[in-house]
Amino acid sequence: MSVWNYVVTAHKPTNVTHSCVGNFTGPQELNLIVAKCTRIEIHLLTAQGLQPMLDVPIYGRIATLELFRPHGETQDLLFIATERYKFCVLQWDAEAAEVITRAMGDVSDRIGRPTDNGQIGIIDPDCRLIGLHLYDGLFKVIPFDNKGQLKEAFNIRLEELQVLDIKFLYGCPKPTIVVLYQDNKDARHVKSYEVVLKDKDFLEASLSQNNLDNGADLLIPVPQPLCGVLIIGEETIVYVNASTFKAIPIRPSITRAYGRVDADGSRYLLGDHNGLLHLLVITHDKEKVTGLKIELLGETSIASTISYLDNAVVYVGSSYGDSQLVKLNLQPDAKGSYVEVVERYVNLGPIVDFCVVDLERQGQGQVVTCSGAYKDGSLRIVRNGIGINEQASVELQGIKGMWSLRSSTDDPFDTFLVVSFISETRILAMNIEDELEETEIEGFCPQVQTLFCHDAVYNQLVQVTSSSVRLVSSISREMLDEWHAQSGFSINVATANLTQVLVATGGGHLVYLEIGDRKLTEVKHAQLEFDISCLDINPIGENPNYSHLAAVGMWTDISVRIFSLPDLNLITKEHLGGEIIPRSVLLCSFEGISYLLCALGDGHLLNFLLSMNTGELTDRKKVSLGTQPITLRTFTSKNTTHVFAASDRPTVIYSSNKKLLYSNVNLKEVSHMCPFNTAAFPDSLAIAKEGELTIGTIDDIQKLHIRSIPLGEHARRICHQEQSRTFAICSLKYNPSSTEDSEMHFIRLLDDQTFDFISTYPLDQYEYGCSILSCSFSDDSNVYYCVGTAYVMPEENEPTKGRILVFIVEDGKLQLIAEKETKGAVYSLNAFNGKLLAAINQKIQLYKWMLRDDGSRELQSECGHHGHILALYVQTRGDFIVVGDLMKSISLLIYKHEEGAIEERARDYNANWMSAVEILDDDIYLGAENNFNLFTVRKNSDGATDEERGRLEVVGEYHLGEFVNRFRHGSLVMRLPDSDVGQIPTVIFGTVNGVIGVIASLPSDQYVFLDKLQTNLRRVIKGVGGLSHEQWRSFYNEKKTVDAKNFLDGDLIESFLDLSRSKMDEIAKAMSVPAEELMKRVEELTRLH
Amino acid sequence: MGSLLGDWPSFDPHNFSQLRPSDPANPSKMTPITYHPTHDRTLPPPDQEAKNILLRHFYQRAEEKLRPKRAASDNLTPEQGFKHPRAST
Repeated sequence: MSVWNYVVTAHKPTNVTHSCVGNFTGPQELNLIVAKCTRIEIHLLTAQGLQPMLDVPIYGRIATLELFRPHGETQDLLFIATERYKFCVLQWDAEAAEVITRAMGDVSDRIGRPTDNGQIGIIDPDCRLIGLHLYDGLFKVIPFDNKGQLKEAFNIRLEELQVLDIKFLYGCPKPTIVVLYQDNKDARHVKSYEVVLKDKDFLEASLSQNNLDNGADLLIPVPQPLCGVLIIGEETIVYVNASTFKAIPIRPSITRAYGRVDADGSRYLLGDHNGLLHLLVITHDKEKVTGLKIELLGETSIASTISYLDNAVVYVGSSYGDSQLVKLNLQPDAKGSYVEVVERYVNLGPIVDFCVVDLERQGQGQVVTCSGAYKDGSLRIVRNGIGINEQASVELQGIKGMWSLRSSTDDPFDTFLVVSFISETRILAMNIEDELEETEIEGFCPQVQTLFCHDAVYNQLVQVTSSSVRLVSSISREMLDEWHAQSGFSINVATANLTQVLVATGGGHLVYLEIGDRKLTEVKHAQLEFDISCLDINPIGENPNYSHLAAVGMWTDISVRIFSLPDLNLITKEHLGGEIIPRSVLLCSFEGISYLLCALGDGHLLNFLLSMNTGELTDRKKVSLGTQPITLRTFTSKNTTHVFAASDRPTVIYSSNKKLLYSNVNLKEVSHMCPFNTAAFPDSLAIAKEGELTIGTIDDIQKLHIRSIPLGEHARRICHQEQSRTFAICSLKYNPSSTEDSEMHFIRLLDDQTFDFISTYPLDQYEYGCSILSCSFSDDSNVYYCVGTAYVMPEENEPTKGRILVFIVEDGKLQLIAEKETKGAVYSLNAFNGKLLAAINQKIQLYKWMLRDDGSRELQSECGHHGHILALYVQTRGDFIVVGDLMKSISLLIYKHEEGAIEERARDYNANWMSAVEILDDDIYLGAENNFNLFTVRKNSDGATDEERGRLEVVGEYHLGEFVNRFRHGSLVMRLPDSDVGQIPTVIFGTVNGVIGVIASLPSDQYVFLDKLQTNLRRVIKGVGGLSHEQWRSFYNEKKTVDAKNFLDGDLIESFLDLSRSKMDEIAKAMSVPAEELMKRVEELTRLH
Repeated sequence: MGSLLGDWPSFDPHNFSQLRPSDPANPSKMTPITYHPTHDRTLPPPDQEAKNILLRHFYQRAEEKLRPKRAASDNLTPEQGFKHPRAST
């Protein structure tokens, strides 16, 4: 790999951190706004459900998300504050369908200790001010003026240092906050303050309550007329206002989220750490609170946010499991639950670990993640591309073409499959036993190659061969009419639809026929100057049976032409450029937009927008799909038409949000495809590949496919073993029923096809599984699972004891072969020179696999290396060992065979708290740290002095904005050695927000080119809320902020493809590169993930 | 329980009226369009100062300093005229 890296998101964040409901896009429109850390999603509530409107990337990690309505506004504004102390106020401009910035600014202070419990951002219910608690001991106020504009911000000293929550109270003549805090004796209290804007100070207000529940963590302000505040504890819930105090005990639970139901604040939904949803009711007599009631409604995902939407439907956003849309029913179901889950939204976060495996042995990586937490823990199998689920296949060599035919024009299903070979045509059909068997259509000519077949009106079929066009009855199967090509001019290419036939013969003759009842009529003939290479008359106009346009690809002048039908007048001629002839043309329509697709002999595909009225071709785009000629065919799946491009790299072309997308089909090479929709195999495709004819169904048309395996427990480490075809995981199961903090840790063995638990090894009490590895040792052909553990004792700061367990899989069971006690937690295990390398607390330790006299095996310590705070992450390459330390960044060690010793070679002297490391190549190492940055360091072997050689030089820095838990070498896409992107090495990463990303190492010239493109894109694509892309990607921690270097933001670069043509041209001009070339290069990058 | 549940607030009775519970095995596949603004209204309006509090203060002071202290009067002759030697009495 290299120092020039391209970082791109393959799967966007799905961890829902915030949500709110209001009238954002219009006064009469109700919206759900969801924050997924670095993105917001705007949804519209409709009769059918939630309708996604917009996904808005934010150049920051969202700390606060609030809707509010200043006086005089008819719709809500959105306030966002980011973790890097930027804020903005966004407004929806419905006319332009744009998000506009009403205000923005920086609320950072040069001094101040960032709060431990996260940032708090709140808006006064009467819109007099915005309050922010960002630093201990300070409360920042941004006042509104009487026009609703934000004024100069100022700080007020806040006496309480350990603040747990702050909210504005309702119904106060002066803006008043209520503060929940912990004192230095760990007791919790609430206090309230009036914000005196004139004096820029607090005035203590009357509401206060001392010595609350020790777990009190959340304040809920109650609107008028009741006013006051609810204080949610772990064992009690308290309501307080100036004169009233009401409390109820609750079953011990930690409330993670709440959602207000009624505008008057009499009912609230509370979600706890076990995913239980409660309804909290304030009972009141007129405006006097008489008590509190709480009822269990049912179970959901563990909520991080709850938003009551409308008509008893509630959005439950989750950080630990899938987010949900739930309906509150009046009557309980059989299990006593009032909650019905009506929709589920995938969340991969937190991805704690993952592995890359080729489960289907197709040469393509699939990512299997440990996702979610607690009861919502799961494994997720993430696969790029579209799969074909094989239903039947037969060996058939030399297929030259395939077409499906129906037995009558209005039959919904296909009956026949015509398969053409170089010197014969065979017809297959489904028999009564739903088997494919060979049959005959008497009117067809079987002794020659078929060039084209199609159903025709009046229960007829059409077969085109090199000498003639035959019209055959689909009922009697007899020939009804035949049109013969002029002698000496054989038909080269042909196409047809239900009522029309177009053929091209040698010498550039184009002949147009129409199909009547038992009759073929030659309507028009045209003589072109060159030979014709491909044709299409797919009807995409108003008449589904008849096309007014014909697309014709030409030899010699390498052009594609549009002719009108029936008169064969030339309307448009588009030269394709280059020397590669078009091999397949297709008229098609996606989402109401008409396109002409034109595939070339070298695997490139051109697409044009086609005007159905004028035949004009515009917006030419070029992509590279493979290296071999492509054949284009339409097919239908789930009532939507897509295009299949058969080639050495089969691709499905589809449209989403009016943009053409290309998704790989997970097959190696496909020469021909035709839809074959039979009663037995509905919605199937017939696929000719590598001497085989396969009938199969196709996956849903989307780029990433995610399969979920719910575990009901939290998987923390995963490893695959090819030989036993198993996965092993370290997991823990919480026992919520017992009052004591009880959790059980396991090593589980799973079948890699069914994902069933097939064997379990329970760990000891207090023993955690920390690392897992599949490896073999020198002088032993067996493959083992090695597991590193730690005994986590409540009274110890760091574990002082752990174990390394060596298992073998025998008869589908985990058999313990050896165990070795360690003096600390085994954070990492690596196979190393036929031995086992373990990271144990501060130490790196190497173990040999020794044969005892009795034939049994044991791990024997060989050598080690001290000198880390905690060696958490280890990667090896040859004799080199790269260690990611808890707080001392990356160091490089070397194993010296002769001396049997491990020595430090170099280190990065920065104080980075690491979260993952990976070796990119011999000299470049990649790290991720806990301020959401990525960086690369380089080994400086050529340094002049020992000091220089002993220092790992920081060569790349980048703010990812994501917490990376794991890097793994591998690729999500099938890598073809002869494609351009096939040469680019990649590393995959997984994050807490559920992001799966790819880091690709680029050659220097490509990096320079894309860096220039990124600079130009920054000028055209503006940061929402006025946030700067350059600042967002700058490396940032408590000590320094420096511009990103040697990393490119692939998400920004690939958004080039979403721009309008005029903006693309603007950038192309600035780059002095044709827009088409830019599109092609960026499109190729999208094929990395 | 019935008295606590029910009577759920409704903004628009049509919302979710045609919602069909989906197959729990199939999560929602609806994806919104990604927004890439290319307009200039992403920047705050000019009357909205995005500047740091300290800078704003600095600029305000700078403006004050630049402002001419007092308009010079056309009549340069001092009203009081030149100093006169005090008349000795």
